[in-house]
Amino acid sequence: MTGEHPALALRGLAKSFDGKVAVAGVDLDVPAGSFYGLLGPNGAGKTTTLSMAVGLLRPDAGGAWVLGHDVWADPVTAKQLLGVLPDGVRLFDRLSGAELLAYHGLLRGMDPAVVDQRAAELLDVLALADAGRTLVVDYSAGMKKKIGLACALLHGPRLLVLDEPFEAVDPVSAALIRDILKRYVAGGGTVVFSSHVMEVVQRLCSHVAILAEGTIKRVGTLEQVRGDRSLEDVFVEVVGGRTATGEELAWLSR
Amino acid sequence: MAVPVTAPANRVRPVSARHFVRLKLRVMGNNFRGQGWRVALFLVGSLIGLWFAVGAFFGLAAPGLVGDDRYALLVAAFAGGLTVLGWLLLPLVFFGVDETLDPARFALLPLSRRTLVTGLFAAALVSVPTVAVLLGLSGLVVTAGVFGGWSAALVSAVGVVCGLLLCVAGARAVTSAFASMLRSRRVRDLAAVLLAVLAASLGPLQLAGVAAIQDTDWGRLTGVATVIGWTPFGAPWTAGIDVAQGRAWAAPVKLLITVVTIVALLAWWSRSLESAMVGAASAGPTRARPGVTGGVVAQLFPRATGWLRRDRFGALVAREARYWWRDARRRANLITIAVVGLFVPVMVNFGGQGFTFDSDQGFSAAGESSPVLVSLSMLFVGLLAAVTLANQFGFDGSAYAANVVAGVPGRLELRARITAFSLYVLPMLAVVAVVIALVLGEPTWIGFMAGALVATYGAGLAVNSFVSVLGAYSLPETSNPFAMNSGAGVVKGMLTLLAMVATSALAAPMVLAAALLGDAWLWLGLPLGVAYGVGAALLGAYLAGDVLDRRQPELLALVTPRR
Repeated sequence: MTGEHPALALRGLAKSFDGKVAVAGVDLDVPAGSFYGLLGPNGAGKTTTLSMAVGLLRPDAGGAWVLGHDVWADPVTAKQLLGVLPDGVRLFDRLSGAELLAYHGLLRGMDPAVVDQRAAELLDVLALADAGRTLVVDYSAGMKKKIGLACALLHGPRLLVLDEPFEAVDPVSAALIRDILKRYVAGGGTVVFSSHVMEVVQRLCSHVAILAEGTIKRVGTLEQVRGDRSLEDVFVEVVGGRTATGEELAWLSR
Repeated sequence: MAVPVTAPANRVRPVSARHFVRLKLRVMGNNFRGQGWRVALFLVGSLIGLWFAVGAFFGLAAPGLVGDDRYALLVAAFAGGLTVLGWLLLPLVFFGVDETLDPARFALLPLSRRTLVTGLFAAALVSVPTVAVLLGLSGLVVTAGVFGGWSAALVSAVGVVCGLLLCVAGARAVTSAFASMLRSRRVRDLAAVLLAVLAASLGPLQLAGVAAIQDTDWGRLTGVATVIGWTPFGAPWTAGIDVAQGRAWAAPVKLLITVVTIVALLAWWSRSLESAMVGAASAGPTRARPGVTGGVVAQLFPRATGWLRRDRFGALVAREARYWWRDARRRANLITIAVVGLFVPVMVNFGGQGFTFDSDQGFSAAGESSPVLVSLSMLFVGLLAAVTLANQFGFDGSAYAANVVAGVPGRLELRARITAFSLYVLPMLAVVAVVIALVLGEPTWIGFMAGALVATYGAGLAVNSFVSVLGAYSLPETSNPFAMNSGAGVVKGMLTLLAMVATSALAAPMVLAAALLGDAWLWLGLPLGVAYGVGAALLGAYLAGDVLDRRQPELLALVTPRR
């Protein structure tokens, strides 16, 4: 049945804040089993789009479907299939890492024995077991990302939605996260993640969408979007950035 | 003015208090932009402040207007002293302080501590309460002017302004000191005890006041007022009256006392401010204790919740229970309930007739309080306990997203939160009932007192479940548990008032029953009260949970701090 529906389908998603348009009608189909990169500059509407896709933010218009289940009409089923790592959102950070995992596991209605076993493995693999009873609030930024990812993975979702999973993560942890995500996709899962780091997207993704000013500018497989150029060139062209400075900021070089 | 020294080539313009005031006004203004309801709330808050100010003005000007100079000193010393006391204690217990300008934001700027403290102090003066107090206590100037002419009025005006500075400096210093104490894990229990002692000492003070008034021995009262006038509590307010009554020499001394106190308070504030600025990044590292035994699920559940089933409900309760203890903001609320819960009933029930002092028995106050009075005071305690949950989702902030993503049903969520909070509050309420009944010398009253407590608490939980779902607001992510966003003070006040009125209405049957049923109520009070309370709480969670289900994303947006 998972073959019939895209893992994530967005139709006409739109949102504005105080009259300012953040997302202006996004349509997207994320095929099951794909590794999907959502690229965009700061303020392009990536977080807003993903928040609406997972049920954290009510859209002004449009809808989102996870494996055919409407996120807004049938949230219970849709959310069971989803694992989410939001960005710019606090965790319940006055729990220790272990406590946080247990909380998320039980909240998803998992069997306590399974929670124990999976959480121990995740803490081990993500090198968080040493933190012991340190509260998450005292974790480093990279450790917070890792524990957030562990919480999203714990219940074995079919679709992972990750907002900026590689932000503020050191290269060692980033490599670890990449390996875990690759294994997850190889095992039949689907990953959607947002980023503005071309190098990571180019290395990981099978599909790419470029989001700017609240709309999708390019979409397709990595090869289709990239063509024979580098992804960065395409991105800068689509987004319309400016290059090089001449006379201004001269006082910086003294 | 201290000027930060940087590259000598660049002219560095000094930063003065004016910049802080303008920054505060700008931040306040930006908060209003495009938010009509915020403007409306601000106006309502200002009107309420103005109303109290005008009332206080005429109250304090009354001795002058009536021309009775016997009361002038009394009114100045007591009203002024209470004002100072209120500014010191109320932010700790109820209202919090406005942290529109969070000190932590200035940590990276090259500002001397002196510049920072004077600047923040000046900014703190720009608020509705300060204007209201200034206006209200100006009544003293009228009184001084009537009796002593222009010179007395002038001294009094200077005194009132100094007194206001004293109030603001005191409020800042005390909340900042307690905030840093509550932050540090080592002394936080000490801080709790200190707060308790401080608040509890209000009781005897009030008793002394009531006893004094009942004696109507004006000579003795004037003596007390004279003494208060020489402490920082009364000095600024009574200086003008002293000039009017021919003790001109006292005025400069009293003003000096005031100024010295202000400087001392500012110095104290500046010390704790530093720790607030540095400590903002982290709440102090916990020691990593590896070698944890048992699975992760066993770690989540505190020992007191061992009886819970390891499912969604259990996880929610366990997490909430941990949070009520680990989150400084929530813990401060718990301490408040414990302290106020004990001393308000004592005040209400003994305030009515005052202590009688027998040489052989010591203090005794037995047998004069009535079941209705006791029920009323219990009603207040239950109300206060429940209203703590009025912004329960605001405590979580954006972390609430985890529950939204997991799709927790609203009814389950609210029931779990009520259960976790009750783990702390119900034992406290039991202690209140037992202690008050024993102090009153009426052990047979324990039953209906506990009944009234639980009934009010339960009804309050029902009301506040709705308030917390519909009227949530975000709390700033600072390390100061007493901090609030500007404008949130009015919101908080209105919601609290609304919740309290609604709860009182729901709990009124308990007081009525105490008044009408007589002795039968001694036995019926406990079972009926508990049944009423539990029923109300469950019904509230059931109905409000339905509302929550329909507006989880909206609630999340409300409690997420704007950045």
